[in-house]
Amino acid sequence: MSVAKRIIRQVAGDKRSVMMIVFAPLLILTLLYFLLGNTTYKPTIAIHESKLPPALVATLKAEDAHIVDIHEDMDSELYLKDHRDVDAVFSLSEAGSGITMYESSSKSAKAMKVIQNALASLNPSAKMTTTFVIGKENASFFESMGYIFFGLFAFFFIFLISGMSLVKERSIGTLERFMMSPISRSSVILGYTVGYGVFAVLQAVVMTLFGIYILGIGCAGNIIWAILIMLLLAISAVSFGFLVSTFSNTELQVVQIIPVAIIPQVFFSGLIPMDTIPYGLGNLGYFTPVFYGCTAMKKIMIIGDGFGDIWPYLLGLLIYILVLCILNMLALKKYRRL
Amino acid sequence: MDIKLTNVSKSFDKKTVISDMSFSISSGDIVCLLGPSGSGKTTIIRLLIGAIASDRGTIHFGETKVPDLKLLKQIGFMPQNDALYDDLSGEDNLRFFGGFFKMGKSHLEKRITEVLELVDLSDHRKKYIRNYSGGMKKRLSLAATLLHEPDVLLLDEPTVGIDPVLRHNIWNQFKAIKATGKTIIVSTHVMDEVTECDKAALIYNGRLINYDSVENLLSKTKSGKVEELFIEADKRQKGGEAL
Repeated sequence: MSVAKRIIRQVAGDKRSVMMIVFAPLLILTLLYFLLGNTTYKPTIAIHESKLPPALVATLKAEDAHIVDIHEDMDSELYLKDHRDVDAVFSLSEAGSGITMYESSSKSAKAMKVIQNALASLNPSAKMTTTFVIGKENASFFESMGYIFFGLFAFFFIFLISGMSLVKERSIGTLERFMMSPISRSSVILGYTVGYGVFAVLQAVVMTLFGIYILGIGCAGNIIWAILIMLLLAISAVSFGFLVSTFSNTELQVVQIIPVAIIPQVFFSGLIPMDTIPYGLGNLGYFTPVFYGCTAMKKIMIIGDGFGDIWPYLLGLLIYILVLCILNMLALKKYRRL
Repeated sequence: MDIKLTNVSKSFDKKTVISDMSFSISSGDIVCLLGPSGSGKTTIIRLLIGAIASDRGTIHFGETKVPDLKLLKQIGFMPQNDALYDDLSGEDNLRFFGGFFKMGKSHLEKRITEVLELVDLSDHRKKYIRNYSGGMKKRLSLAATLLHEPDVLLLDEPTVGIDPVLRHNIWNQFKAIKATGKTIIVSTHVMDEVTECDKAALIYNGRLINYDSVENLLSKTKSGKVEELFIEADKRQKGGEAL
């Protein structure tokens, strides 16, 4: 417990580490809230009014969009290149309706939606109602994907702090010094886990409360389970940081490992549905702790499952932690045979 | 507690670092491991403490064979670099390193006060290490080694990079520690320091070229300087290769 106490004292005494663990995730979550949340953007759609049926023009104008009249026939692509404030050009011919857009973006998606709505209200049989089994129909991207960031941040920030401090301990020799005392290798690892675990709990609690009560991300299930998952993710991050530090001689090398070891995990966090990843590469997710953590987070926060549904994922995380701890115990043999 | 090395060899990546080394250290002596950088001094210390395993040969502390977890309680190890936490105060560093020896809280606090006094840092106990000078760090590092009252001190280059006055102070402290019946093994590459010790093990290219009391060693030289013995050994080793 000596190790745990020292880590708590060190981290608590270092304002930057505390900021990194507690406030950095909140800052990024807030930023994401504004970036990915629902916007009140009104798309601009250009039409040649005299070429469209008056009824359609009227319904389009009734939609939540700016409608501009081109007045003359001209090439849609050229028009869009000249008028960058216009999101889409809508035209109607014998062959059907056509939409030309400058680029594929969330703005063009909005313009598309306006046009579809207008067509549907003229022809009710084409009206499509979308409903989801889980989640809310009008949820913003942030609300439906927020859980991913909870999981990722719980992992990433603790990984960074613990990995860095461990490399430092190796390079300045403090690890070697206390390994030369009658401490068992397992209690070194336990000490690190408990020490950073305290901050992981703090981070998980602050982050979930902030996300749910201030940013309004819904949590369909029990928050306690969400915090537990984030804690397990953070513990796996400590073990992961420990292992990475074994292969690094400087703090810079830890940073260099991030693109290899951390960024691929983002892909398996639920951002991309695993079934859509070709060549069975999606199965690689089973090797990443973030996959287990984020899948369980989804079950709790979006689906509203309970412990009965998430335990296999928690078990996955626990096995991951156990394997990493055994590897770390072996790695410590470098310092002392016993 | 006598320390005995018997035919100890160690190689890293097929490169021999220590070859067939045997000598014994009597309890209560100050023994210096003298040799140029890269001669294998740190490796001997790490072998002695049981951090690494020898390829051949054995090391005994009294009756106990190295490695032994309980033995570590009786050894005080001072690494070559300062190995202290910058972001903790002097006393918190000692609390941490002392915490592994199951001393009991009040006893540990008492020892912290004692060792800080010994290395003359009592006034700086609450200061962060990042505000310590190089010499202060060295002294605190020594204090951390003494906390648990070990019988044997293994000190890896404790006087490297410090000024002559402080070096003199530190040697006086070693002598004071020796007076309490402890064995001190200290590695150094500073030839002059040999005169401070009882015995010296001269190490060159991983071989023990001489092990004797300092008086005897000096009497073997013409100039009264230990360097001579290294130069001779170098000639012998090179001559051996030529044959």
